[in-house]
Amino acid sequence: MPPPRTREGRGHREHPRAPCEEAPERWDWNHPDTRRLMEDAFFRDEDYIRQGSEECQKFWAFFERLQRFQSLKTARKEEEKDPEPCKHSIPALADLPRTYDPRYRINLSILGPDPWGSRELGRRLPPERVSEFRRALLHYLDFGQKQAFGRLAKLQRERVALPIAQYRKRILRTLREHQVVVVAGDTGCGKSTQVPQYVLAAGFSHVACTQPRRIACISLAKRVGFESLSQYGSQVGYQIRFESTRSAATKIVFLTVGLLLRQIQREPSLPQYQVLIVDEVHERHLHNDFLLGVLQRLLPRRPDLKVILMSATINITLFSSYFGGAPVVQVPGRLFPITVVYQPLEAEPTTARPEKLDPQPFLRVLEAIDKKYPPEERGDLLVFLSGVAEISAVLEAAQTYASHTQRWVVLPLHSTLAVADQDKVFDVAPPGVRKCILSTNIAETSVTIDGIRFVVDSASLSDSLLIFPRHQSFSVWAGCTCGQPAPSDSNTCESRNSAEALLPGLMKSMDVGDPRTFPFIEPPPAASLETAILYLRDQGALDSTESLTPIGSLLAQLPVDVVIGKMLILGSVFHLTEPVLTIAAALSVQSPFTRSAQSNPECAAARRPLESDQGDPFTLFNIFNSWVQVKSERSSDSRKWCRRRGIEEQRLYEMANLRRQFKDLLEDHGLLAGAQAPRPGDSHGRLRERRERQALLQLKRQHEEGGARRRKVLRLREEQEGGSSDEDAASGGRAAGHGVDIQDVKFKLRHNLEQLQAAATSAQDLTRDQMALLELVLGRGLYPQLAVPDPFNSGRKDSDQIFHTQTKQGTVLHPTCVFASSPEVLHAQKPENGPGPGSRGDKDKGSSRHQLLVFVSLLETNKPYLVNCVRIPALQSLLLFSRSLDTSGDCSRLVADGWLELQLADAESAVRLLAAALQLRAHWESILDRQLAHCTKRRLEEEEEEALTVSHKEVAALSRDLLQFMVPKIPYSLRRLTGLEVQNLYVGPQTIMATPSLPGVFGSSTLSPHPTKGGFIVTDFLTYNCLTSDTDLYSDCLRTFWTCPHCGLHMPLTPLERIAHENTCPDAPRDSLAGAEEAAPEPVQKASALQRPYRCETCQKDFVFTPTEVLRHRKQHV
Amino acid sequence: MASETEGMPQGVFQCQLCAVSAPYSYVGQKPPNTRSVVLLEECYILKDPFTADRGRFLVLGSRCSICGRLVCVGPDCSLFYSKRFCLPCVRENMNAFPQEIRQDVEKRKALAKTPCGEPGSRT
Repeated sequence: MPPPRTREGRGHREHPRAPCEEAPERWDWNHPDTRRLMEDAFFRDEDYIRQGSEECQKFWAFFERLQRFQSLKTARKEEEKDPEPCKHSIPALADLPRTYDPRYRINLSILGPDPWGSRELGRRLPPERVSEFRRALLHYLDFGQKQAFGRLAKLQRERVALPIAQYRKRILRTLREHQVVVVAGDTGCGKSTQVPQYVLAAGFSHVACTQPRRIACISLAKRVGFESLSQYGSQVGYQIRFESTRSAATKIVFLTVGLLLRQIQREPSLPQYQVLIVDEVHERHLHNDFLLGVLQRLLPRRPDLKVILMSATINITLFSSYFGGAPVVQVPGRLFPITVVYQPLEAEPTTARPEKLDPQPFLRVLEAIDKKYPPEERGDLLVFLSGVAEISAVLEAAQTYASHTQRWVVLPLHSTLAVADQDKVFDVAPPGVRKCILSTNIAETSVTIDGIRFVVDSASLSDSLLIFPRHQSFSVWAGCTCGQPAPSDSNTCESRNSAEALLPGLMKSMDVGDPRTFPFIEPPPAASLETAILYLRDQGALDSTESLTPIGSLLAQLPVDVVIGKMLILGSVFHLTEPVLTIAAALSVQSPFTRSAQSNPECAAARRPLESDQGDPFTLFNIFNSWVQVKSERSSDSRKWCRRRGIEEQRLYEMANLRRQFKDLLEDHGLLAGAQAPRPGDSHGRLRERRERQALLQLKRQHEEGGARRRKVLRLREEQEGGSSDEDAASGGRAAGHGVDIQDVKFKLRHNLEQLQAAATSAQDLTRDQMALLELVLGRGLYPQLAVPDPFNSGRKDSDQIFHTQTKQGTVLHPTCVFASSPEVLHAQKPENGPGPGSRGDKDKGSSRHQLLVFVSLLETNKPYLVNCVRIPALQSLLLFSRSLDTSGDCSRLVADGWLELQLADAESAVRLLAAALQLRAHWESILDRQLAHCTKRRLEEEEEEALTVSHKEVAALSRDLLQFMVPKIPYSLRRLTGLEVQNLYVGPQTIMATPSLPGVFGSSTLSPHPTKGGFIVTDFLTYNCLTSDTDLYSDCLRTFWTCPHCGLHMPLTPLERIAHENTCPDAPRDSLAGAEEAAPEPVQKASALQRPYRCETCQKDFVFTPTEVLRHRKQHV
Repeated sequence: MASETEGMPQGVFQCQLCAVSAPYSYVGQKPPNTRSVVLLEECYILKDPFTADRGRFLVLGSRCSICGRLVCVGPDCSLFYSKRFCLPCVRENMNAFPQEIRQDVEKRKALAKTPCGEPGSRT
């Protein structure tokens, strides 16, 4: 490489040959061909700017402006000639160019296309045009440098201007001298972004900074990475439940409190960190307080560990004294000059629609800003609204106004928005245009948006708007739109409920003793701990003595929602892992249905074939599987496929990611035989696979380099479209990279499409039995989140169907719910055709078709909505799942969980069913316990493979029995008890009572009386004969003559005694369990999941071996 | 591997006039990862932190060719006119520079006094 050709670079006379005589006046810079010619020469792949990139477009825009500017200037310039030549004594000044030229002010030079290398080009490009272009390019690059440096300098100025900057030295000094430091400062002082950087700059590495919210982890990692000028992802990373940008180079990691607790759970001394920053300690919730408690115990054992507690300026002494009088550095908050303008709402005559928000006042704000502030004065508007409905009302009106004035870009911001759309709030508006961000204000997450100058807060005040122009960036609360975050939202904002709910479980598993006596910094409100403990007991994670059940101890280790965790565990027991993984993932992300698709009949029709009348999780299951099929067949079409069905594809990508993470979790916890070794395939196939992968990686890299998403300039027009159809906007943003669907590329890089497809295909082949088992798994997983249909639903309109949960009456189905459009499948009675077997004695609603809904979440907005429902047969499900079952004397009347009453017409079949349920539950529980015990043991001993303690045979038998149990069609009535009935449900403790001796019905154990309900405790969930009854007081002693079909015994017996006899009758055939074992369909050779066919080349024989057996076998030949 | 280390900071650049500082990853006239651009002075360079493109660089500053001070490229600290000059040196030797530069320096002085002036943002 020759030395930089500075002289030639500036001269006009390079490229001596210029055979192109085609009149220079015909040269048209605006012609695409001309531009392409130049681009071919200067914007090649290895050049600073690449052809077709965004940068390239920016250059041409710059070029046009420069040309206009110069044509103005040259006119004046002519007469100004040389200044007086002055020889200077300082050598550096001596050889300054005599004649001023702006090019001398640029410290760059471009190594242009080699004129000798491409003769062809040289001939077609007139040299004066080339140098014109070259000069423009120089100016452009110089401009870019100035801009970037300006940003860097501004960033530093801002950092230095933060109140905390003056306390940097003091904080670091205190930290060196003490183990614990409390940094107290109010919002805006910069503690969250700066303190981690100070610590890093002071030479600490291995820094962890905890945040109460996931989104804060992400945004802080981004911000700190940005400010510290390191490429985000290398030194600064974040780690949240299912996502991590952590690498070997990471020096500081932002993570959630929950995640840190799990790390402590694994490694109690936390060896991986040097400094721990606990942010927002003043936000007193159980997790933070628990962490502080754990740290207090840990510190003496880790004298080298430094802890910084960051808090608002409240309760400082509390934290300080909890850590033995830790020093406090107090930082003043930043005060912005704020002007508050009240704009009273005119008392307009209330129109007919009182429910819809009137957007007029908001438009007046836009107008007022337009009038008062010139467009050159930048500054955006942020409007807080109370919900999504309000946002769309204002959005619509504001967009009309915006398209009219061309001075606003209106953007909604709420949690149900596609991620790409949410990100738009960070983009900048073009010059002369302001952003108007319409956001929900219920705090779950915090993001910082730069450039906000005006804020409108309408939510708290009903009769006036509060407008306050503000400066600088500040935190905006966005996120969940309803008071109770829906669990299905849990991947975007940690549903605080479930996280907190799991804490007692976590504490139990960390052996810190009773949560109630743990030395918390301040004892948490007893009620919240009790609620959490009760929830875990309800969910079966804690038993009645509050110790962790086997399922609970596993749940404490799985960082997932309790309900999802239960489903995964139960599914793995029945070898239904693949479908359960998909369903669990689908239920853990936001609904994939787009808002606009709900109203679009075409989308609904296209989606119909995918709907399952079993319930929404199955619909989601079908959608995901079909999508995977579409992807593997013709992946480029998947986006279109989704759009046509009104599905947000992003959610499906999230499902795929989550599904994989769930799978890893199950493997980690020994619930799933290790990843099946990918089929080796032939070398051809592998080569092809590698090539494909490389091509994908290449695409990804190109995308990242080209379309790096920093802030983009928003387009006026795009926004107006974006508001009306969000799916176009979402995909439009993604399509930018040369028509490549980058999501698709990433998806293929991350997932083994073949494996996914195999799972999807096998899903289609699920037998009816497997489907029924899957329903049971979902039912038990979701229990006790269940609702009973109102008895009068069959007479109501489709949209008026109501359902009752134990605590909430009159809930309705979410509009996306499959049962909302076909509620008749939930009705106990078919309208005309009388129910088959039950028609005999149905004087009142005796039907065998009663069903319950289990649901994933209860979403309370303007109405309480049930979200993601599955229908399950009522009687059998309650018998199998209820935590409490109470019976009448003859067992024909049952009360489940103290609120649902089942009245069976036939006492005998009632007893039979109950007895079967008892047996099944015991069997199921024992299999589950053994499976889980096996998992934990395996984990502890790191034992590979071998001997599942639960045999396939046993599971097959249980499956069979469960399915058989679901079959009988017994007519019964189902009813929700009234409050009064609930109060007078039990007979209460009895003084004199003959212990019924009924061996065989409820097992052999002797029964003890229930202390409060009366009656007798049969198992921990079943209490016999404790219900008050006004009809037949003597049912338990009414005997009729009966002949045993097996031994011929003829006696007067109660139904119960009859069953007892049958169960113990020596002549009766043992069918249930014994028969099942014979019929076990599982093929024998599948005894170990690790076995594979193996052909030994040495001895020319075929075997079925596990990998270890293969090794053992090979050794023989050596 | 080579490209990995190229991006790593070599040290911290600090302007001796305004104290702006940033880690730099290269010093010289040939910025790494790009072949088509060369620099006309020995510069302290950082991989452009504002884009993901690896080839982009950002010039932080260089030494004044009169006094040898390390100065940033910010308009309040230095200017480039075929060489790098820090503003104090330019002011001392005002008459050695063409009129355009003199005018520019005067303008900068005026701008520096009014707050939030961001020169060069309008074209």
